[in-house]
Amino acid sequence: MSLLLDDITITVPDGTETLTILDRLSVRVDAGEVVAVTGPSGSGKSTLLAVAGLLRRPDSGTITMAGVDTTELSAAQLTRLRRDSVGIVFQSSNLFPSLTALQQVQLVAHISGRLNSAATSRAKELLGSVGLGDHLERLPSQLSGGERQRVGIARALMNEPDVLLADEPTASLDPERGHDIMELMTREALDRGVATLIVTHDLDHLDGATRRLHLRSGRAEESTPSATV
Amino acid sequence: MVLTLGRSNVFLALRDLRVARGRFALVALVIALVALLTTMLSGLATGLVDDGISGLRGLPLTHLALQPGSQSSFSRSTLTQRNLAPWSKVDGVDASPIGVSFFNAKRANGETIDLALFGIDRGSFLAPRPEAQAALEGEPGLVLSEQFQADGLKVGDALTIVGVDRTLPVLGFTYGGSYGHVDIAFSSLSTWQELVYGDNAKGRFSAIAIRATDESTFAATDVAAETTVESKEAAYQGSPGFAAETATMDLIRGFLLVISALIVGAFFTVWTVQRTRQIGLLKALGASNSYVLRDALGQLAIVLVAATIVGAAVAVGLGSLIGGGVPFSLSSAPILGSTLVLIVVGMAGSLVAIRRITKVDPIIALSSEH
Repeated sequence: MSLLLDDITITVPDGTETLTILDRLSVRVDAGEVVAVTGPSGSGKSTLLAVAGLLRRPDSGTITMAGVDTTELSAAQLTRLRRDSVGIVFQSSNLFPSLTALQQVQLVAHISGRLNSAATSRAKELLGSVGLGDHLERLPSQLSGGERQRVGIARALMNEPDVLLADEPTASLDPERGHDIMELMTREALDRGVATLIVTHDLDHLDGATRRLHLRSGRAEESTPSATV
Repeated sequence: MVLTLGRSNVFLALRDLRVARGRFALVALVIALVALLTTMLSGLATGLVDDGISGLRGLPLTHLALQPGSQSSFSRSTLTQRNLAPWSKVDGVDASPIGVSFFNAKRANGETIDLALFGIDRGSFLAPRPEAQAALEGEPGLVLSEQFQADGLKVGDALTIVGVDRTLPVLGFTYGGSYGHVDIAFSSLSTWQELVYGDNAKGRFSAIAIRATDESTFAATDVAAETTVESKEAAYQGSPGFAAETATMDLIRGFLLVISALIVGAFFTVWTVQRTRQIGLLKALGASNSYVLRDALGQLAIVLVAATIVGAAVAVGLGSLIGGGVPFSLSSAPILGSTLVLIVVGMAGSLVAIRRITKVDPIIALSSEH
């Protein structure tokens, strides 16, 4: 088991009321599984991703990441665990404007203090596997939207994560490119045995998912095997 | 190249500098101008100090004993042999009377010059060079500082002391220096006494120059001699205008440093606000606060150090072009000092931005960019 969210509740103040964003939600994603999280706006998809990415602590419930119970971890320990165990693909690629494609991926190794020639070879291999072997020295401004998102996927896989999280990875792409990106991500996740959680509103690109989790008002409404997605 | 840079602490910052070089060049220009101003001011301050006290600083004395209440000023201090005697008896202390007064002197061509005249006893340890000592032991005359030589005065020229109408020959030249912004001249103490008091000197002089390494006997001797002893450095305060000039210069320098800190702080804060999302993303990728701070501070340090060095170097270049009319003096210690202070103050100015960096929540990386 790579990611276990158990009985997670998150509330936020809403004027004089309290709004429940995640309501005793439990999600388990095993290595090699690709879980697609769908749901209407405000259903708690992004919050679920923030909690799973150790970017936000739940009000109650426990998160177990790569076998580590995170409840008692300090902020610094959570950051280290995220660095070593989590890869995140962002909605609009979120690349650094001053870094080339290769440097975007190398940065992850640099943050871990492990940037060496082996890491550089791995970064090149990852960019090659997402079809950007010829674009290593290009800046984000010299890449198309789909290419930027591919760099984002390579970056998310650089630290050999146990858990891969994707936040609406096709939102800024046209349907054809969106389909390619989704396919690439699920293929990479399955090939590398990574527990993957993809938040998406795009029901057309769920073919590669092994499970689908539909959220409504912070609760998991259904969980469907991929064959029926 | 990538790997070389990769090993450094500022992976992202270096590349940001390269890509946003126009923005950083503008800030660097402002910092360089502040460094230029600070260094120029440092040169002017050092020049002014030199102009005020270099003559006194150059004398081989460690302390001065003056009349109590004279506030380090030679013109307010008058002592006699009665005051000198207790100091002369102390073992390990060289004590010598010194007279200091300002005079105008007229050259043969009618031109008038200012003199800060130091009257020194025959055989005194104060005579800066043996040849000056020898000159002062012969016929009454003046040994001038080297600046007068540069002004065209020669050995044998006659100078008439205005007001006293006493004409004295130029006997030689010795080390350069000035006191109270007036170039110094040496005469024998008896000549000085004659110029100041005429034939009514009664052995009076301005102060007692002391050379000693041990101050343990000073308090008792001070009481016996009815004098106030102080270090040579403390006596600088008595140089006309010295305290006011240094205070003004220090104030201007202080203002410049505060302005510099504000400029650097403001830029870095704005830059940090603009980079908030990028900082959040770095943290979301697993970067610790210390990693992000190292990156940001490394970037600031590169800009700050490079701009400050360029500014200081330009100031040194401009300083060398300044003519002798302006008291300007640059040596490596004050340049290095003001440069280092500027860098430290600039880094200190970024403290607000640093606090901001540590507060950036990585969760903002998940929000939509547009």
